[in-house]
Amino acid sequence: MNNSDELVILRARDFWTSLVLMAASVFFIWRSSFIPLFGGNRAGVSGADWYNSAAIVPLGIFGCLLVLSFVLLFIAVRSGGAKTALSAAGVGWNRAEARRFSTIGVILFFYVAGLVPRVDFVICSGLLITALIYGFHLGKPQRMLLSAAIVAVAGAYAMAAHLPRSEWAQHDDDLLALVLWISFTVWVVLQNRGTRLAWVIPTIALTAPLVLVCAMAFGFRQNVPNRGGLIFKQIEYHYFVSLKPLWSR
Amino acid sequence: MEFVFSQLSGFGEAFVALVVDPLTYVYLITSVFLGITFGALPGLTATLAVTILTGFFGNKIPLDYSLIALLGAYVGAIYGGSYPSILLNIPGTAASAATAMDGYPLARSGRGGEALGLTTTASFIGTLIGTVALLIFVWVLLLISKNIASPEKALLALFGILLSGTLMSEDLVIKGWIAGLIGLAMAMVGMDPLLSEPRYTFGWSYMLSGFQVVPVLMGAFAVPQIIEGLRHVEAAKMLKLQGRILPNMIAIRRHMPTITRSGVIGTGVGALPGVGEDVAGWVSYGVGKSVSKDGKNFGKGSIEGLLSSETANNACIGGALIPLLVLGIPGSPPAAALMGAFKINNVIPGPTIDPEIILRVVAIMVLASFTMFVLGLFTARVFIHILRIPQTVFLPVVMVLTTIGSFSVGGGINDLYLMLGVGFVAYFMTLLKYPIAPLVIGVILGGLFDETFRRSLLISDGDLSVFVSRPGAAILLTLNVTLILAQVPAVRRTFQALKQRVI
Repeated sequence: MNNSDELVILRARDFWTSLVLMAASVFFIWRSSFIPLFGGNRAGVSGADWYNSAAIVPLGIFGCLLVLSFVLLFIAVRSGGAKTALSAAGVGWNRAEARRFSTIGVILFFYVAGLVPRVDFVICSGLLITALIYGFHLGKPQRMLLSAAIVAVAGAYAMAAHLPRSEWAQHDDDLLALVLWISFTVWVVLQNRGTRLAWVIPTIALTAPLVLVCAMAFGFRQNVPNRGGLIFKQIEYHYFVSLKPLWSR
Repeated sequence: MEFVFSQLSGFGEAFVALVVDPLTYVYLITSVFLGITFGALPGLTATLAVTILTGFFGNKIPLDYSLIALLGAYVGAIYGGSYPSILLNIPGTAASAATAMDGYPLARSGRGGEALGLTTTASFIGTLIGTVALLIFVWVLLLISKNIASPEKALLALFGILLSGTLMSEDLVIKGWIAGLIGLAMAMVGMDPLLSEPRYTFGWSYMLSGFQVVPVLMGAFAVPQIIEGLRHVEAAKMLKLQGRILPNMIAIRRHMPTITRSGVIGTGVGALPGVGEDVAGWVSYGVGKSVSKDGKNFGKGSIEGLLSSETANNACIGGALIPLLVLGIPGSPPAAALMGAFKINNVIPGPTIDPEIILRVVAIMVLASFTMFVLGLFTARVFIHILRIPQTVFLPVVMVLTTIGSFSVGGGINDLYLMLGVGFVAYFMTLLKYPIAPLVIGVILGGLFDETFRRSLLISDGDLSVFVSRPGAAILLTLNVTLILAQVPAVRRTFQALKQRVI
C-alpha cells in the first residue's frame, strides 16, 4: 500500500471520526446545560454570574471540539474521504487485523472486568500471560481465537456467577480459572514440544504474577487486587503466621 | 555571584545526602537498569517506564526514593533506545529514531562498539548539560514566576496543550488540538474546583473525584502499546557488536563542539511545554546536518549525526523538567508521567514548590547520569542479550504490571475500568494518527486551566480584558493566537506572499 492509498484511507476514517466527534460534542454541550450557567443556588451559595459558573469552561471546550470536528469533516470531504467512506476498502478494513484486535480486546476486557476483581490475581494473570503469549507469538488465527475463548469462558463465568461486589470473595470462579489455566498450559506444552515456548510460557506465567504480587504486597506494602483469592490468601497467611515471626522476634 | 554559590552549596548538600544513603544506590541502579531495558526493548518507551514505575513506587515510599526511581528510569530509558537503533535499525523509543540514521550504518561497517561507546558518553554529557541548565534557569524562572497570576497560568496551560498538539501531530495539526481538547474535557469530570458543582458524573459516585491521573497515564501509554505490539514479527537480524565500547578520549574531545551544541539544542527544545525527546533529537540532527562540516555524510554513518541526536534527546530531560518544576507544565510526555507521581505525593509543581525538592531533583539527575554512564559502558552486552526477547513475550508481563500498578495507586477496581476504557480510546486514536501526549497533558493541566481561567474572570468581575491588560498575559495570549493562526491556510498563504514580496 503506497502513501496516497494510506492517505485516502485515513481521510475516510477522518470522515467518520469527525461525525462521532460532532455527536459527542453536541451531547456534552447538552449535558453542560444541566450545570447552572446563569445563576443557581448550591448548598446556600448563590452563583449569580455567568463567569462564576462551572459550565463555562466545559462549554468552551466542547464548543471548540465541535468547531474542530467541522474543520476535520471539511478536510476529509475535500480530500475524497466522504466518497470512499462507505466502502470496506475505503476505510482500510483488514480482516486479519480486525481479528487480532478483537481477540486482544476480548482477552483484556474479561481479564480486567471479569477476572481481576473476582479471581485470585496469580491465577488470572497466569491465565492472561499464557493466553497472550500462546495466542499471539506466532500470529496464527486459530491460536488467537482459542486464547480469547478460554479467557472469555473464565471471565464470563466469574461475571455471571458473582456480579455484585458482595459475592467477589467466592472461590468457585477461582477454581474454574485454575482448571482452565492448568489444562491450557498442558495443551500449550504439548503443542510446542521441543521448542523454547514449551517451558518459557509456563515459567513466565507462574513466576511473573507471583513475584509481582508478593513484591507489591509485602515489599512495597501496596494494595493488591483480591486479597482473599485462592492462592494469595494462603501466601498472606503463611507470610504473617509462619515467616514474619522468624525475623520479628 | 552570591546566588550562584548558594545554589551550588545547596546542590552539594543534597548531593552528599544522597551519596551517603545506601538505599539511594539500590533504587538508582535498579531503576536505571530497568529504564535502559525499557528503552532497549522496541515496543516499550521511556514514558511507559516512568508511568509503570509511578504505579509501583507511587506514594508508598518516601518521595526522595520515588524520585530516584522515576528519574533514573527516565534517564536510562532515553539512553537505552539507542541500542536497537544502532544494532537492529529499529528505534527502541521515538527519541532514538534519528539515532538509527547513522548508528546502524556505523554498526554495519564494523564500528558498532565505537558508536555505542560514543553514544553512551554523549548521552551522559547531554544529561549533565540539561541538568546544569535546570539548576540555573529554574531559579531565574522561579523568580520571574512569582509574578505569574491566574490569567498567565491559564494561558500558559493552554499554550502547553496547543504547542504539544501542534508539534506532536504526525498527520493534521488539528488532530493534536482535538486530542488536547479531549484531555481537557476528561479533566472536567467530577467536582469543579471552585464551587464543587458535580460535572458529567452520570450519578456514579466514583466519578465525583474525577479521573485519577495514574490510570489515565497507564491506559493512554501502556494499553495501546500492548495491543499494537502483540503481533508476530520476524526477528530482525542483529548486527554483531564489533570494536571496543570504551570511548577514546581524543575522539570525545574532537566531537565536543557537536556534543555541546546538541546539548544546548536538546535543553532548549525540552524546555518548550509538551515537546518531547523525539523532537529534540530530530531538531538537533537537522541543525547538525546544516552546520556540520560532515553534514553531507549524515545518514551514511556519520559520528557527528549520531552524536547530534543522542546528546540532544538526553539533554532534553533536564530541559523538560524546567517548565514542570517552575510552572507545573510538563515539558515532555515522560515529564507528564512524572507530574502524575508528584501529584499522588501531594507535591504541586509550580512557583510554590519547595526549593529543596528542586535541588534534590538536580542531585538525582547527576547521580542517574553517572549510573547510566557506568552501566552503559560496562554492562552493554547484557542489554544486547535483552534485545533478543520478543515483544509477544514481555508485553503480557507489562499488562500484568500495568494492572497491578494502576490498582495499587488508587486502590480501587474502578481505576482498572478507567484504565481499560482510556486504553481502547487511545489505541483507536493512535490508529487514526491522533497524538496521545496532548491528551495526557490536557488531563493533567485541565484542572489548572479550569481553576485559573475562572478565577481570573472572578477577580475581574467577568471582564475579559484581564487576559490582555497584564503584560505577561498579553504576551501569552499573543503566542496562543499566533500558534493557532499559523495553522490557518489563508494566513499562511498571506504571510508567504508577503515574504516573497519583501525578498
